[in-house]
Amino acid sequence: MAYVATRGGARAIEQSQRLFRAEMGTITPERVAEVRRALPYLVDRVMGEASLYDADLAALALAQTGGELHEAVLLLRAWRTTQPRLTVADPVLQQDLFTHRRISAAFKDIPGGQILGPTLDYSHRILMTEVLSGAAQTPDPVDAAAISAPAQHPSVAAWQAENGLLSAAEPDTRCGNDIPDITREPLLFPAQRAHRLQSLARADTGGVLALGYAAQRGYGQAHPTVNELRLAEAEVIVQHPRGTRFSAGRVKVSQAEVVAKTGSDLRLGFAATLGWNEVKVIAAATLDLNAKGAPKGSATEEEFFLYHTEGVEASGFCIHFKLPHYVTFQSSLDAMRDAKARDQAKNQARAAETAQATREAEPTP
Amino acid sequence: MTQSPPAGAAPQTLPDWPHGDMLSILARSDADRLKALAEPLIAKLPDITVLENRTGLVMLPMRDSAQGTHFHLGEVLMSEARISAQSQEAYGMRRGRDLEAAMAMAVIDLAVAIGIEPDAISAFLHQEAAAQSQADRATLARVEATRVDMETF
Repeated sequence: MAYVATRGGARAIEQSQRLFRAEMGTITPERVAEVRRALPYLVDRVMGEASLYDADLAALALAQTGGELHEAVLLLRAWRTTQPRLTVADPVLQQDLFTHRRISAAFKDIPGGQILGPTLDYSHRILMTEVLSGAAQTPDPVDAAAISAPAQHPSVAAWQAENGLLSAAEPDTRCGNDIPDITREPLLFPAQRAHRLQSLARADTGGVLALGYAAQRGYGQAHPTVNELRLAEAEVIVQHPRGTRFSAGRVKVSQAEVVAKTGSDLRLGFAATLGWNEVKVIAAATLDLNAKGAPKGSATEEEFFLYHTEGVEASGFCIHFKLPHYVTFQSSLDAMRDAKARDQAKNQARAAETAQATREAEPTP
Repeated sequence: MTQSPPAGAAPQTLPDWPHGDMLSILARSDADRLKALAEPLIAKLPDITVLENRTGLVMLPMRDSAQGTHFHLGEVLMSEARISAQSQEAYGMRRGRDLEAAMAMAVIDLAVAIGIEPDAISAFLHQEAAAQSQADRATLARVEATRVDMETF
């Protein structure tokens, strides 16, 4: 493929950007704050895909792009490159999460019980059209329980391992900068598991859902059951210069384990992301579960799903096709015209030969 | 007011507050209240050298519960401040882009290390810890209301 630099159109480009932004009007701190307050799940999705946790910046990116998600994620990924990395926090452990929602579709009596947390899973999907007629809808307050739920819950997988249903996971000993990092290393295949899980953590939600759904519908090797799904907050544990470890704050995280039976064993798939986005982690865990032994080029093959769910690269490649390709397209036209001319010449030669043969075959009077 | 220790002395701590607990509470404290506590401490501290006051990213890893692998979830925007005085190094790190709040945290950390206003700082920590615990309890009481007994479905 060949590209060519183009000139001209600076005024049109400037005006086109003004036209795009004119529809959104003035961006104010109040608007950004309102986006953050009113659309927490969209803000979470953008933070997860951008791999940058800051709700104010994510809300600003959404306000600045008019909610064009790929542009918003790209803005945040670009902004991230302006910042130094201060440190790597301690690894978050499932059993330490400050848990808001924790359910299992595999076992109803999991240790610690099932807590629905914030969800619309069992709601009627009815659009509140009365709001458009001026009737504001204020949600009914939660009737808080007399006692508080425990902040931490035990791991379902650990409980399964104790009961011989799973092999206990061997904890990684790598910490800090020893943990593989795809923001600093190339993604090579077969990918290191740390690269696979990091890629899924920052993957495009729609892309992961499409491929995970394909696997769930039967285009994969294993049908998932949600072993454990959590929406939680994780402490960001960092180190003081004197060596003291402390929490510099909490961030929202989602994590899902899915389980499938293979022979006489159970096998787990896992995924997690920044922010609360349970569709993404269930779909991503399904891909993790199905990756082993997946046929080359299938939706569940690691290389296929990791390359095609990287939202910034995918959207960038997709939209680049609308940028000037005049030379490449002209070249295609030239080749097409040449082929047509050759075909035409061949056809004419064939017709002439046929006419000649016909004349020669006609009986002489 | 407590007498400042000589330069090079070991950093002091508050009797009721292990250093890590203190820092965790300060990192989560209300920014305005934190700054209000730190502001008057500055005048009581010896000359402060600001080593760092910036925003940056902290990479957050997680342990995969299926196979135990550590992997990176993504980066968290933080503000940090690193200051020193009388050979004591102090530090503040908080989520977000509030450099003043990170500096206020570092100032309080420095004040504790040098022994400035320990009672006032301890009282602040008690107040903030109570507020944070109350907020957590309230959240978890609302979460508990969603506990489900599958037998009743």
